[in-house]
Amino acid sequence: MQAETTQRVTLLGLDFGSTTSSALVASAKVARSSATGHMQLDDVQIIYKSEPVFTPFATHNNRQNIDTEKVAKLIANWLNESGVSIKDIFSGGSMITGLAAQADNTTALSKLIIDMVGESVIATADDPCLESWLAFMGSCGALSRYHADVPILNLDIGGGTTNIALGLQGDVLQTGCYFVGARHFKFAPGSYQLLAMSNDGLALLESLNIHKKIGEIFTTNETKKIIAFYIKLLESIVQHNATFLSMPISQLLCQVAIPVSEPISENFSQPRITFSGGVGELIYKIVAGETLPSTTYYGDFGIDLALAISQSTILAADLHSTMPENKGRATVVGLTLHSNEIAGNTVFLPQENCLPLRDLPIIAKLNLAMPDAQWRNAFTLAAKHQHGACIQVELENKASQPVSLNEVQALAQKIKYSIIVSEYAPSQPLLILTEANIGKALGNYICDWGQSMQNIIVIDEVPLRSAHFVHVGRLQQHMIPVSFFGLS
Amino acid sequence: MLKPIANIQVPKPSPAAPHCITLLDRNFVFANLKQVLGAADISKAGDRKASLAAKDEIEREAARAVLSGLSLQHFFDHPLTNIRGQVDNVMRVNYDINHAVFAGIANMTLGNLKDELLKSNGIRIREIGTALTGVMVAALTKLLDVHELVYLAKKLKNGASAKARTVIGLQGTLSSRLQPNHPTDNLSGITMLLYTGLSMGSGDAILGLNPAIDNVANISATLHHLDRIRTETGAPTQICVLSHIKTQLECLKNGAPVEIMFQSLAGTESTLTDEFDVTVDLLDQAYETMRTNGPLKDIAENFMYFETGQGSELTYNKHDGMDMTTTEALCYGLARRYSPFMVNNVTGFIGPETHLDNFEMMMSNLQDHFMGKLMGLPMGMAPCYTLHSSVTLEGQQMATELLTAAGANFFMDVYLGADRMLAYFDTSGHDDQTLRETYNLRPAPEFLAWAISKGIFAEDADGNVLRGENWGKPEIFCASNGIVNTSEFQRLQESVPAIYGFDNAGARPSNKVSRLVKANQAIGREAIYADLRPSDMGNIQLRELHTKAHTKAEHLNDAELGTNLEANILAHLKPENNDVQIVISDGLSAEAIHHNIPELLPVLLDGLNSRKLNIGQPILAPFGRVKLAESIGDTLQAQLIVTLIGERPGGDALASRSMSAYFAYRLSDAATQNLAATFSGNSQIKYEYSVLSNIYSGGLPPIEAGSVIAEKIFDILQHKAAGNRLENLLQQSS
Repeated sequence: MQAETTQRVTLLGLDFGSTTSSALVASAKVARSSATGHMQLDDVQIIYKSEPVFTPFATHNNRQNIDTEKVAKLIANWLNESGVSIKDIFSGGSMITGLAAQADNTTALSKLIIDMVGESVIATADDPCLESWLAFMGSCGALSRYHADVPILNLDIGGGTTNIALGLQGDVLQTGCYFVGARHFKFAPGSYQLLAMSNDGLALLESLNIHKKIGEIFTTNETKKIIAFYIKLLESIVQHNATFLSMPISQLLCQVAIPVSEPISENFSQPRITFSGGVGELIYKIVAGETLPSTTYYGDFGIDLALAISQSTILAADLHSTMPENKGRATVVGLTLHSNEIAGNTVFLPQENCLPLRDLPIIAKLNLAMPDAQWRNAFTLAAKHQHGACIQVELENKASQPVSLNEVQALAQKIKYSIIVSEYAPSQPLLILTEANIGKALGNYICDWGQSMQNIIVIDEVPLRSAHFVHVGRLQQHMIPVSFFGLS
Repeated sequence: MLKPIANIQVPKPSPAAPHCITLLDRNFVFANLKQVLGAADISKAGDRKASLAAKDEIEREAARAVLSGLSLQHFFDHPLTNIRGQVDNVMRVNYDINHAVFAGIANMTLGNLKDELLKSNGIRIREIGTALTGVMVAALTKLLDVHELVYLAKKLKNGASAKARTVIGLQGTLSSRLQPNHPTDNLSGITMLLYTGLSMGSGDAILGLNPAIDNVANISATLHHLDRIRTETGAPTQICVLSHIKTQLECLKNGAPVEIMFQSLAGTESTLTDEFDVTVDLLDQAYETMRTNGPLKDIAENFMYFETGQGSELTYNKHDGMDMTTTEALCYGLARRYSPFMVNNVTGFIGPETHLDNFEMMMSNLQDHFMGKLMGLPMGMAPCYTLHSSVTLEGQQMATELLTAAGANFFMDVYLGADRMLAYFDTSGHDDQTLRETYNLRPAPEFLAWAISKGIFAEDADGNVLRGENWGKPEIFCASNGIVNTSEFQRLQESVPAIYGFDNAGARPSNKVSRLVKANQAIGREAIYADLRPSDMGNIQLRELHTKAHTKAEHLNDAELGTNLEANILAHLKPENNDVQIVISDGLSAEAIHHNIPELLPVLLDGLNSRKLNIGQPILAPFGRVKLAESIGDTLQAQLIVTLIGERPGGDALASRSMSAYFAYRLSDAATQNLAATFSGNSQIKYEYSVLSNIYSGGLPPIEAGSVIAEKIFDILQHKAAGNRLENLLQQSS
């Protein structure tokens, strides 16, 4: 086992959702996992947890935009309360999700966040599969490893979306997202008098043949009809009910369909169902016997949904036996703790000052079995990105298996050849990512042990992802954070 | 109050006189008392190495006959001296005895004393013990057989208790030190091991961690962590982090909860001061600090925790001509000064150079336990072994059965018996519970009450203590309102290497778990006893040179032999003046070499060749040790010697194939030597060392290691430095 860092790192997560926004600051050590052998966060301590506040929206030209001025004050207040200095932040993530991600000014908001909290934090908007992944990791990562022979399907139900992730043994296998949430209909608290509704909410009413305008009050039958539809849709997602999911309204509410696939393996049982997000939090309060406030206390369908889910024999089957953690804060915990992978501590990095590398496009995932043309094409495409590009390299064996020297040398030869034929500029950063612990050896063979001037970085021991972009943070305390976004 | 050491009177040493005796037709002459003491003991590896052991049974009995006829006054009047002929401070402390009691027994021969003790009750035996020095006790012990060692020690159980937060050593009890050692002091891992042990009813003596990193920051952090776990679980016990006494004093000054002060002791002052960096004055200071300022000063009667074990003085070659049992008894005379809460004996820890096999280890354990108890100490025992000795799990278990019969106060609880930090094997929580059930013993009363409240133990209508429904279920400590936080429990489990599961069969681990543990040990042992196979080294041509160790047994039992090449080989080697010389040796794991070198060496040579360095043909040196680098470096005049050598296997199968790379930079020019001497404070320094460890498929894989080693070589040669001086220079240049 290699030495752990004795110093702690500071991590930041910011979540701007359809209903609420929140911040989390954690402190952790980085250590090599005894279970996986990979570098990971350890001894995590939450040092600041903001109270959830309503996400500040402002109407502009009949469109609901995020009020950046209020968000700036919010962030400043969080930083002040947590006592965190921006320069101390090792890594983290911020995300604009759900209905908030449909605002016109999300790009400006992302820029504002980076300006305020620094380059160590990645900022993304409307990345539903990443959100599903993060919510799973924030609520079910350890739980899924504990129940190693049982797949877990987590439904993170917030104000605007239900983010779905199917995981096994701590890894997310499939993700999806539906516009099912508490806040597509906004009510005067304590009543069902409609104050506002989203486009998806309007479409649902039309589909259900309910005709309501702003200011009118839903009847009991109408609310039951809406909730029943949502429950049926969630049950259909869980049960892969293709007929219901192919209905026009179901299709309309689907942002990313979770793939309908064969059972993971006949060795594994049916997935257990867990919940997170604001509605998930309410569901587990019901399970714990807590008394919830009256419906629409929060001015939305959150409590109705939670009650209905807890009464569904399909959705509530595992509520007592399989308890996730963090629940309502799953996404912000995921952002704080799981936005970044930690690279192995023997990476190939001849020029430390070339980091950080932001928003590098991931061009391809290549392996030795692929024809030269595929390698050449990928490197040619990569060469067109002047600020650098990333190639993910798959090895024949899994990360836990030793890689042979022949394989490393062949890989190095293939990359050297591809660099030459693609005329990849020496000064242009080329990031090679691999799961195996071969970073330094592969880099040295590619660069002829420091003889070549090619600006190559080989980062190892990070899981390869189906993502569009990667961000490599600064080297801090001999560690490099790596984050993926634009998950597909 | 402690008696000032200057006030302890010791007779003036007299010139050594020979002891002569005839047994049937053989005449025996022992040059001095030390020789008699050495020859009178059973034969042990360490004493054989020091030429103190008897050559045969008859010589041993002759020595015992000599001892039997000497009076206690004779022992008193002839204090054993150090190599300079002086009475050292450890010996002096041993003379702090009850002189009134001694006056009543002074004229008794040792043989008569033995008979008197066997006829006496515990109170009288204990009283006599207060009048004996360590040398007297050691001499007496050499006259006792196994039954006598057990029988007498058992009589001493009553009155061997000590009190901190709990009382340990009461009649009818068997306690345990819960030892949650982790290779990197990972707090989650420590928590997991603590929860596991507590759930098995372990830890009533102490929650005691051997730290991986001995500095004030880490020791303070781990102390606070142990304190938090103790408080949160409510377990009535005390905590300790077994770092150096100076570190603990600093931690205490900074407010860390140093509830019990730990120190390893030695039976000669030169070992104590030169190797352990401790003086009697410092021990006095630590004791007074704990008595007046320790966190338990208002409730505890005893504050100190000492560890000892036969052979440490011999390992450092600072035994002053005394045998291992005698120096061990002298440790107890030193420990007695401080009325400790615990004394733990770890005989067997060092390895085959002191105790070769089960018999030697068992006998020493029984001797040590008896000697400590006779000198009034609350003795706990840790019969233990390393895989490079011939001691086995079965031998260790037999030792624990005998020691329980003898009334040992406590054993260790090392999770499944395999220490993940120290790579040795000790007793487990399963062992402790098995012994409690076999001998009808209980933990300390306060702890038992707590454990019953947690469902770890239960008491039936007849007052029998049984395992409760939560025995062996560590997850109970991750529960809130009866619901286990499985995510938290999972994270804790993942922080401990080689965790084999929690399935139990009664008080024992399930067969599935036991098979895993034993299979891993078997693989580790095979790695040590396997011979180097040159055919498994890959395709690179190596030159094979032999060390002074000719056989595996010589190599394992005498570490010195592997540090030098054979004289006739040295005579034929000429200076080659290369930049780098690679040396490959099995060290303590030939399998580590077989599994790493074929892929590592080509990468390393590719790296070195890229810089056009002069590289000597790599050397294969079977039965080598790390310091062999200096013998080779001096002869071949290489600038840097890189020794690739197998590490000592522990209980993890994959890690038994772990190798290290030692970089020995030869300080060949005066300017560099000056810089190194200034940096180290050692004016005679000849080599500086860096090290890269954990090279194996589960740690730093061989291909990557080859590259890392090459880059380290570049750094060392460029900066003309290794070790901390190199790291300082690299830090300055970055």
